Amino acid sequence: MAVYRRTSRPRFTLLLLVLTAITLLTLDERSNGLGIVDGARDGAQDLFAPVKAAADSVFRPVTDFFDGALHYGDVTAENDRLREQLAERESAMLQAADAAREREALLDLAGLDFVGDIPTVAARVVLTPASGFELTLSIDRGRDAGVAKGMAVVSGGGLVGQVIDVSRTRSTVRLVTDASSNVGVRLAATGETGVAAGRGAGSTLRVDLVDPKTKVDKGEIVVTSGLQNSAYPPGIPVGKVVAATTATGALQQDVTIEPTVDLPRVTFVKVLQWGPAR
Amino acid sequence: MGPGQVSSRLRLSVVLLVALTLHQSLFVTLRVDDAHPQVMLLVAVVGGLLAGAERGALIGFAAGLLADLFVQTPLGLSALTFALVAFGVGSLQAGIVHTDWWIGPVTAFAASFAGMVLYGVLGAIIGQAHYMSPRLLLAGVGAGAMNAVLAVPVVRAMSWALDGKAAAAYAR
Repeated sequence: MAVYRRTSRPRFTLLLLVLTAITLLTLDERSNGLGIVDGARDGAQDLFAPVKAAADSVFRPVTDFFDGALHYGDVTAENDRLREQLAERESAMLQAADAAREREALLDLAGLDFVGDIPTVAARVVLTPASGFELTLSIDRGRDAGVAKGMAVVSGGGLVGQVIDVSRTRSTVRLVTDASSNVGVRLAATGETGVAAGRGAGSTLRVDLVDPKTKVDKGEIVVTSGLQNSAYPPGIPVGKVVAATTATGALQQDVTIEPTVDLPRVTFVKVLQWGPAR
Repeated sequence: MGPGQVSSRLRLSVVLLVALTLHQSLFVTLRVDDAHPQVMLLVAVVGGLLAGAERGALIGFAAGLLADLFVQTPLGLSALTFALVAFGVGSLQAGIVHTDWWIGPVTAFAASFAGMVLYGVLGAIIGQAHYMSPRLLLAGVGAGAMNAVLAVPVVRAMSWALDGKAAAAYAR
């Protein structure tokens, strides 16, 4: 009997833990963004925020060092790109007046002046994806700053993602590349609409529902469509076309875009205080 | 519950909170492609290795639940995965007759890889089909390798927290 007790107790404990975990999973699934589960998450994030902020400042030099070491190639490439941009800017400054006029015209034409009059909340990225199974980031502004669930998040380059969870001082943003992300989009040149779907871990998005007869050029900008009930305002750059092919007999093109924002390196964002019902 | 047990639980709580802080502020940034160290999973693995199946499962559950609070994946999925992995490690650990320092890193590699894959499989079962992708194996190998490196200090920290005689053998 004693032997029986020794061998069965760990299994009984494990069974209890498994049942508890299944209960939590069920509660999370059923709560749909409300209730005790999200309350616990929000509370934990608010409680942990000061510790996290302090730890971030302590570890910043270490993370910067490793970031440089692990992404040396990217840093070099970015350096080259910035030098190139600087040279272009210097050249452009010589024709400032014309360039400014041209730029305004181009922005109007492509509808890329995407923030417009929409009120925004500036925020700093405080946490990159922590699990590897989700593509989200945390920002240091929450309910107190006017951030709400569903709001679009942008950076200088375009769409970053959408707010999916808000606590008092923090918000979680699902990146456009996350596998559960779907964004209604429009091809800037033709006006053809489609849906840009994230592919999970990876850097590109797939655009579905593009007519096979539509001419899609490599490098073409894809912006949010802002169609009725869209979660995003219209005209926000989402990505650039990197490939567009049509299989024989296919009902849609296979269009791949890469985000206009360097998502792994984004550090500051703006939350657009906009909702489809406005 | 004696004062020794209270003291051990307090130390274990400290280790879990320090691990969480390090994970959130430091280790998530040490990314190579999609892989980064999974310190909370490592704590669960080492918990199973040092404390056995039952206590390991409890430690794994606590570590997973803490991790779950700071991600947007289904709440309870990490807790379930980590508890199962720690229980598995603890059950296998019972058969180890010889202890040495390298058992920690080797176990950390294998169990972390298994944990990542199990997480993906369980996620797919509860409706997150995209968790299962070819990248999962690469992320698992990457996390396993990085956790193997971190296993030595984590074994020491957990040995301090658990203050068991068995724990000391792996930490030497």
